[in-house]
Amino acid sequence: MIPSTLQSLSHAVLNPRGQSTGVFEPSSMAPRLDTLNGKTIYLVDVGFGGGYEFLEEAVGWFSRNMPAVKTVLRRKRGNMFLDDPELWAEVKDKGHAVIFGVGG
Amino acid sequence: MATARFSDYIARDARNHGMLLRFSFPPYPVVGMTRATLRKYVEGNDPTTGKPLMQELVDALTKPLTAQEKNPVRVQKPERPRLLKTDSEENLHRLFLENGWTDGLPIVLPTEERVAEMLTGTSHAPDEVVGLMTVTHLQEKLQYTVEKVAVNAVMAGARPEHFPVILAIASTQEPSLPSSTTSFGRMILVNGPIRDEIGMNYGAGALSPFNYANAVIGRAWTLMSVNLADARLGETFMGSTGHNLNYNNMCCAENEEKSVWQPFHVEKGFKRDESVVSLFRGWSVINSMGAANCIRPATEETAIMLKAFPALRSAATLIMDPLVAKGLKEQGHQTKQDVTRWLSQNVKIPAGQYWGADVIYAFMSPLARQGVEPYATWAKLPKDELITPYNDPTQMNIVVVGGETNPLWLTTDFLYTQSASIDKWRPKGGIRRDERPLRMPAGTGCSDGTCGFPA
Repeated sequence: MIPSTLQSLSHAVLNPRGQSTGVFEPSSMAPRLDTLNGKTIYLVDVGFGGGYEFLEEAVGWFSRNMPAVKTVLRRKRGNMFLDDPELWAEVKDKGHAVIFGVGG
Repeated sequence: MATARFSDYIARDARNHGMLLRFSFPPYPVVGMTRATLRKYVEGNDPTTGKPLMQELVDALTKPLTAQEKNPVRVQKPERPRLLKTDSEENLHRLFLENGWTDGLPIVLPTEERVAEMLTGTSHAPDEVVGLMTVTHLQEKLQYTVEKVAVNAVMAGARPEHFPVILAIASTQEPSLPSSTTSFGRMILVNGPIRDEIGMNYGAGALSPFNYANAVIGRAWTLMSVNLADARLGETFMGSTGHNLNYNNMCCAENEEKSVWQPFHVEKGFKRDESVVSLFRGWSVINSMGAANCIRPATEETAIMLKAFPALRSAATLIMDPLVAKGLKEQGHQTKQDVTRWLSQNVKIPAGQYWGADVIYAFMSPLARQGVEPYATWAKLPKDELITPYNDPTQMNIVVVGGETNPLWLTTDFLYTQSASIDKWRPKGGIRRDERPLRMPAGTGCSDGTCGFPA
C-alpha cells in the first residue's frame, strides 16, 4: 500500500523505453501480372515445420483448378532466418511470381 | 503466407522492414497437421478475411497495385520524450504497469534523483549510446543510452554497485526475451572479483531468491528486454507457454574458489582477475534430483538426461555443485573439456529421434540437404541407427555453482552466446558502494571450508 502522503505528491520520472531509430522508406511493390495462365509461379518454403507439405497441397490446388499455371515448389536454402540470393536470382530469371510460406 | 495467428505480427514486421507485401493467412497451426487438414486449409477460407484462401493468393498476384502500393509513404517515428508527464506515485505505478513497461512485479519509479544516483555507478556519460536491441530477429532495433539503462536498473531495484554488471549485459545488445513461439529461458553468469565486491551468491542456493545482487541484475535484463528491446506480449513476444526463467534469467556467479577447474571466463580468453558477464540461451533445465555417484557416475547420469534434448547445434550447459566437479576430477576428468569430450562421445540416440524434433527439422535439415557433415550422413541412416548428436564438444559448457550441501547438478540445453567485460563500465574511483551495503543474510556453511573431501 502506498502511503497517502506519497499518493498526492507529484513525481517526475524518466521514460524507460528505447528510442526508435527507424526511418522507414518502403519499396514500391513489383508490378502485378494480368493473368497467371501460362505463367510460372514459384512456391517457396521458408522452413517452418509443415510449410513444405502445405505448399505441396497448394501446388495440387493449382493443378486441379488452374492447370494452365506452371508451379515450381522449392525449399529456401538454410533456415528461416537466412537469405538465399541464389534462389531469388533463379526466381527472377525463370519465374513470373512467387508465393512465400508458411510463416508460423 | 503466414498462419492466421501471426497476421498482425507479420504485417507490422514487414512494414518495419519497409516491405509492403500482400499477405494471406491459412488457419493455424500448419505444423503437425495431417494432409487432410492441410488440404482443407488450402481449399478453405483465410480466417482473417473470410475469403477463399487460394483465390486470395491469385488476386494478390494479379490485382493492380493501389496508389499507396506504387508510391509508399516514408515514415519516421517520433522521438520519445526523456521525461514522462508528472503525476502521483500511484498513477505512475499504474501507468508503467498498464503500458507493459514492467515484469508485473512492483518497480522502483525512476525519478530523476534515483536515476542520477544510479549513474554514479559508472564513469560513462549518460548520453553515451550503449547499443541497439530488439526481441525479434529482424524487427526495428531501439537505441539506448547509459541513462536508459540506468532507468531500467532503478526500476529493477538495483543500486549503483550493480550498475557496471547491468551495463555490461546491455552492451551485449542481446535481449533476454527472444520473440520465438518456443519460449526461451536465459542464464547470466558472472565471473571475476566483482562477484564479491557486490555480494553475489555463487554458493548454496545461488539460483534461488536469497541474494539481492543476483535478483536485481537478473531482473534488470528482463526489464531492459521489455523497454529497450520492445518486448510486447502478442505483438513482438510470441512465446506460446512463456518461461518462468524470464523473471530472473538464472542470474548467478561461478564458484571459482571451490571449483577444481578453470573459471568459465578464463576458458573464454579473459584473465582470472577480470570481471566478466556471460550469457546463455536455451529452453530446458533438468535437475539431477539425486546425488552424483550414488549408483552410477555423474557423467552417465548426465548422458541419460542429455538424451531428452534435441541436441540443437550440440549445445548443452551443465551447472554443477563443486562436489560434483571434485568427484569427476577424482574419476579422472582433469578438465571441464575431459567431461564434455566424454559426453560428446558417449551420448547416443537413434537417428530417427534426432530428425523427429521440430527444431532439428528447422535448423539442421537444411544443412543435411546442403551436404554438410555429419548431418548429411545422419539423414541417410536408418531410424534406429545410433548417432552422437552432441558431436561438437566445444558447444558444451560446464559452470560450477553451489554450496556443497550435496553433489547435485543441473543439465540444460543452453547454448553459450557471448561474454562481455564488466570492468570497462566501472566508475573510475571503483565500485560505488553504499556506506552500509544492502545484503541479504548469507547462507551458513562449513566455517573453514574443510568439511568436504579435499580437492
